[in-house]
Amino acid sequence: MTFEEARDYLLQQARKLGLEAEVLATHTRELTIQAHGGRVEEITQATQGGIGVRVVVEGKTGYAYSEERTPQALDWVLQEAHENALLQSETGGFLPAGSELGRHDLLGEGLSAPLEQKRQAALELEADLRADPRVKQVQMTRYSESETQATLGSTRGVAGAFRNGYALLLTSAIMGEQGSLKQGYEYELSKEFHALEPGRTAQAFLQKTGRLLGARPLKTGRYKAYFEPKAFGQLLGMMGWFLLSAKNVLEGKSLLAGKIGQKVASEIFTLVDDPTLPGGLASRPFDAEGTAARRTVLIENGILRTFAHNSETAQKMGMENTGHAARSYKGVLGIAPTNLFVQPGQGVKMDEGIVVTDLMGLHAGANPISGEFSLQALGLKVEGGEMAYPVENFTVAGNFLELLSRITALGTELEWNPMMGIVGSPMVEVAELSFAGA
Amino acid sequence: MLDEILVGDVLRRARLGGADFAELYVERWRRRALRVLSGEVKEATSGIEYGAGLRLFYGTEVVYAYTNDLSPESLVELTETLVKLKGSAGQVDAQGQGGLDFRKAVAQGLHAPAIPFTARDKRYRLERIREAEAGAQVSPQIKQVQSNLMEWEQEVLVANSEGKWAEDRRVRTRLYVTAIAQDESGMQTGVVGPGLSVGLELFDRYSPAEIGRKAGMQALTNLRAKPAPAGSMPVVIGNGFGGVIFHEALGHLLETTSVAKKASVLSDKLGEKVASEVVTYIDDGTTPHGWGSSEFDDEGLPTERTVLIENGVLKSYMVDRLGGMLTGYRPTGSGRRQDYTFAPTSRMRNTYIAPGSTPREKLFEGIEYGLYAADMGGGQVRPGSGEYNFAVKEGYIIRNGRIEEPVRGAMLVGKGPESIKRIVAVSDDLEMGPGMCGSLSGSLPVEVGQPHLLISEIVVGGQA
Repeated sequence: MTFEEARDYLLQQARKLGLEAEVLATHTRELTIQAHGGRVEEITQATQGGIGVRVVVEGKTGYAYSEERTPQALDWVLQEAHENALLQSETGGFLPAGSELGRHDLLGEGLSAPLEQKRQAALELEADLRADPRVKQVQMTRYSESETQATLGSTRGVAGAFRNGYALLLTSAIMGEQGSLKQGYEYELSKEFHALEPGRTAQAFLQKTGRLLGARPLKTGRYKAYFEPKAFGQLLGMMGWFLLSAKNVLEGKSLLAGKIGQKVASEIFTLVDDPTLPGGLASRPFDAEGTAARRTVLIENGILRTFAHNSETAQKMGMENTGHAARSYKGVLGIAPTNLFVQPGQGVKMDEGIVVTDLMGLHAGANPISGEFSLQALGLKVEGGEMAYPVENFTVAGNFLELLSRITALGTELEWNPMMGIVGSPMVEVAELSFAGA
Repeated sequence: MLDEILVGDVLRRARLGGADFAELYVERWRRRALRVLSGEVKEATSGIEYGAGLRLFYGTEVVYAYTNDLSPESLVELTETLVKLKGSAGQVDAQGQGGLDFRKAVAQGLHAPAIPFTARDKRYRLERIREAEAGAQVSPQIKQVQSNLMEWEQEVLVANSEGKWAEDRRVRTRLYVTAIAQDESGMQTGVVGPGLSVGLELFDRYSPAEIGRKAGMQALTNLRAKPAPAGSMPVVIGNGFGGVIFHEALGHLLETTSVAKKASVLSDKLGEKVASEVVTYIDDGTTPHGWGSSEFDDEGLPTERTVLIENGVLKSYMVDRLGGMLTGYRPTGSGRRQDYTFAPTSRMRNTYIAPGSTPREKLFEGIEYGLYAADMGGGQVRPGSGEYNFAVKEGYIIRNGRIEEPVRGAMLVGKGPESIKRIVAVSDDLEMGPGMCGSLSGSLPVEVGQPHLLISEIVVGGQA
């Protein structure tokens, strides 16, 4: 059975049994080519997919999934989901009504290049890095690509499918000069294999990591902070999204609870999530419940406009569904961002402060429930409007909401970061933050 | 699970493409999980996982691919892609052209369940869980009880280009109860989680009410415990899950995964005295119904009982196929993997320190001041140096040979290879405890175990 046949079979059986059911299938193909020491060291080729059902019986919700698509396996899935639902104590569950959403291809032929070219891309990136005498060790260099086909359907009329994917060049290496060692990483991500350029990725790595060599200690104090897009994107993906998820609001975990319509950030700060962005890496025509994609302004000129919702949280809070339902075939209904980005501004003019280029240890050092963070960082000291010298062994600390309210300027160029979801940010200037160093 | 002709075709194509060895691993899982918090079902999920992993050897270089599309077209395409990626297509190996004559080995049902999952409905399970919750209510200070029931059924087929064909069936059940006790001083937990290669007879072997009671009592003990002392002292480690220290700090150093790379301090030490002579350390994949038992490993070899250390002398490592090729040691049926998304590596099964002859009470005699680590929690180890740190889940002060007041927050800190030399006495009350072990080839069910034993000196990290 194909995934679409399996979906149709499940819906047909569900109707026979008098169950409300929603079926989500995803199928992913992945390829990873890892280069080391001038040769291909490791290759992983994988195709993995499965089909998950959510059923609602007497207002109770149950889940089950299968990676096998035979009538026998699918019958078992429906029966288990039904039994799992009946065990629940919580009632009030429902499936949203929907319609025909069509089939969409958001990837096209972007990954269709011959294998040999992909091998070469990984090997070339590694060779370009090793050619620089300051590169002491190339720890990891890989080309990887991923292509996902998602199919959705429900007994309440939802039906649709889409395909998306990306190609990635990634490297992590150590540079050294006169006793100073710095480890860094760099990547390029695109929907088109041919848009990747190993030479450019290597140059970006050498420039970004090379500028940190010869770092000096930073004196503890309060400084103006200039977050590079990568660093701010990490913080926003980790902390910002947590605060904006309606699921966390309902569970009493978000500091933004009850603040709709209030000022929660600097008035130059506008935060948008847009699944309709052409060419966006996380673009999709509809969410995991079949709610059509649309652009959502979460924070507008500093004012909190809405949380991110699925049908369940929207109903519980009496608010409009923003179409942020997310679910893997093995998992339960949740909420996730798509292309999340900070609207660029008028530009940043540096005078005195610290450029924060990268943040580390986000899972341990950032607590989204309290909003507090204390993170090891890498950066450069800015003096008299110039990047004067690199600094090291310091942490930057504060409260995320205070940081948002102290944003004083935003860069003009948006840069996308795939490390914590797909997050876009310009350079972000923050009036003052606490830095702990020597 | 898969047609013999198709399996043969895939393996033959891989050999024709230049691989020295090809192995196909196919599995189907049925998993159920039930999480109940304070009497209410919080999560009930069920799923079928189904897929295949193809591993090719080119000398000692390995390539791996997996898929859960098991149609003939998909498997053939996977094989061809892997061969092409290796860049060796076109090198026809004459040996690969012949047909494969599989020698089939099928599991005998040594660990088969007495009460299969299908024998009882979900209500029955929920009732047993509620018995465990009721059992945990040993005091009004028990504020919350959470129970997790896991049921796994796994069918496995391993076939390789040497004609091996092995089929295994593994059924496992585990009930995991966490009790939380709270008073003005704070919150403490107690955890008890028996698991075996059995079906629903787990509830007959371990009464749910008793599992709950133990978890509740442990939480209460920790609530009235004082902060643990710090310093170097003799420590008696309890039986059962206490064996986790030697699993981490000794067992992992004996897997060829680290031995072959000389990343283990115990590399190249066969025949040498590495532990005190009261120590015999065994890894046994054949224990009937053991949580880490199976009839075949994930490379299709029959599991076995491997004596690793005998009376202090290193006798064997735990060896998988690749580890055997790299080191020359005989494979010990230790190749394991979490599922088809991982290539196998050498892993532990049910690993324990064998019973000694010292009666348990004698271990405590003569200890003026020390720690009794009755139950252990999690920890970390660095295989290169064997350095470990482990949290004591339930601990007591030993004073003048007697077990006295409970203490909490103790950490045991040391180096595995040094600690095993300091084991001075081993009791005769061997018990095993189930756990999940995470490493290169994923997360796997294993048992750890030991009798009560005395370590002459160990660093205890505490706050007092």
